Amino acid sequence: MAAGGSPPGLHATERGGGVSLSCESVSAGYLGARVLREITFDVDRPGIYVVLGPNGAGKTTLFRTLSGILRPYQGTVRIDGEPIDRPRARNRLHYLSHADGMPDGLTVREALRLYARVEGASPGDVDRVLDLLALREFADRFLSQLSAGQRKRASVARVFLQDRAIYLLDEPTANLDPKVAREIRSIILELGREKIVLYSSHNLFEAREIGRYVLALKDGRLALFDRLENLRGSHFVVGVRLLEPSEYVAGWAREGEYYLRELPGPEGVPALLRDLESHGVRLRELREMNNPLEDLFV
Amino acid sequence: MIAGTPSPAGPPSLVGITFRRATTLGRFFLVYGTALSALLGVALNFSAGSAFPSSYPLILPIFASVGSMGGLAVFSSDRLKGTLEYLMAYGLTPRQLFVNFLVSSLALVSIVVGVGLGAGLGVYLARGHALTTGLAVALGLYTVPMSYAASAFATTVGMYWSALSSPRVGLNSPIGLAPFIGILPPVGTLLIVAGLGASGVTTSTVTFYSIGVAAMAFVAVFVVVLLAMIDRFLRHERLLSPA
Repeated sequence: MAAGGSPPGLHATERGGGVSLSCESVSAGYLGARVLREITFDVDRPGIYVVLGPNGAGKTTLFRTLSGILRPYQGTVRIDGEPIDRPRARNRLHYLSHADGMPDGLTVREALRLYARVEGASPGDVDRVLDLLALREFADRFLSQLSAGQRKRASVARVFLQDRAIYLLDEPTANLDPKVAREIRSIILELGREKIVLYSSHNLFEAREIGRYVLALKDGRLALFDRLENLRGSHFVVGVRLLEPSEYVAGWAREGEYYLRELPGPEGVPALLRDLESHGVRLRELREMNNPLEDLFV
Repeated sequence: MIAGTPSPAGPPSLVGITFRRATTLGRFFLVYGTALSALLGVALNFSAGSAFPSSYPLILPIFASVGSMGGLAVFSSDRLKGTLEYLMAYGLTPRQLFVNFLVSSLALVSIVVGVGLGAGLGVYLARGHALTTGLAVALGLYTVPMSYAASAFATTVGMYWSALSSPRVGLNSPIGLAPFIGILPPVGTLLIVAGLGASGVTTSTVTFYSIGVAAMAFVAVFVVVLLAMIDRFLRHERLLSPA
């Protein structure tokens, strides 16, 4: 399903067991200017819900509203039926902001201890997350001495200080090197088995890799809420990389070393392979070049 | 399961750790304010006619205000880095956060005043002078309370200003200008007293203390009103990091 306009009052529901997060006709923004308009959805099934949208679509505003930081101009956010401004509801979720949120003037260990105090976690939990995020070697360094990626890792660590039912993660893998990003993705994947994880990213391949559902925002409205597997791109493009030059593909469009071919869908790949083989084209690699999630940014 | 279990306890006081951070992030201001107040306190004792008892009680609040900018520095940093956003997400209110930074600033004032008075008054007494009633009254009725009032004024106005304006850095930022805000109460008091004298109105010690106490009372009421009205004046979005 591709992104489209946002029908007013769109109600998308994924039912299942456990805790529920519901957003009922929420409009929110800053200083009176509406960023989110009439957002309605309801989730109660564990899994990773990827929140996508172009810059300015309202992703960060949605996270801030769901976490209770921003009070909606209209509508309500509830956790298990309880409004988010009640402590009992707020204590059921974790929020990781797009900014690292780490308090300067402290070491990594001290900062995590501060967060542990705020959340009611123990010093033992701090030691556990230092190991979980491989932060031991930086633990006694001041945050100002860390790189942006190391700071981000430390900030992600605080999300795991305590067990919560819902995790709101605004760009948790931004500014991270590929190895650490992969480690954090695997931790998030594990979280998503039991918890509701709303997760935003600009990395569409990452989103496709770990997401189970997609919430797409466009111009502040919920344009799409669906299972990722139900998404089909408006076009399916594969790229072929050759072992040696071939006249047969000379007229095809190119992207780097890849010659591009648009197919009706993945089912067209075997026929393309046969065609290339019959023309003596020797393949080094064939890969899908487009991501259906890209359509959500159009 | 990856993480620990939640605690039903409410958000704890962060004053202690904020004070520590204020001494780190505001160390330039703290060292500057403390060193200058101590050096001036000592130097005035060695000036002709020992200007210490007449000048130092009037000057110390200015340095106390400058030295206590650490609380505001932490506030500005936390707003910019998204720390305030995080703390609000976990149940701390803007008022709790403001009080936290304000108390840290006032604790920094104690350092500046303690060191400055310790050095200046210590040398004054060591040089054989007696602690006169006049000096004790000046320190107790004006210097010490005005030091806290000036800092409270600078910190509260600085936090409001910082929250209401776009994030800026350098001397043009609220933190850069806050020391100048802080000197308004003590300098304003002195200017009013001097102005009354120049216009022919009789000024006496009693007039000076009356104006000083009135200025401090005004600052106290002003700060309390700003803190009380925080939910009206400062919506949560004012404290968020730039998106």
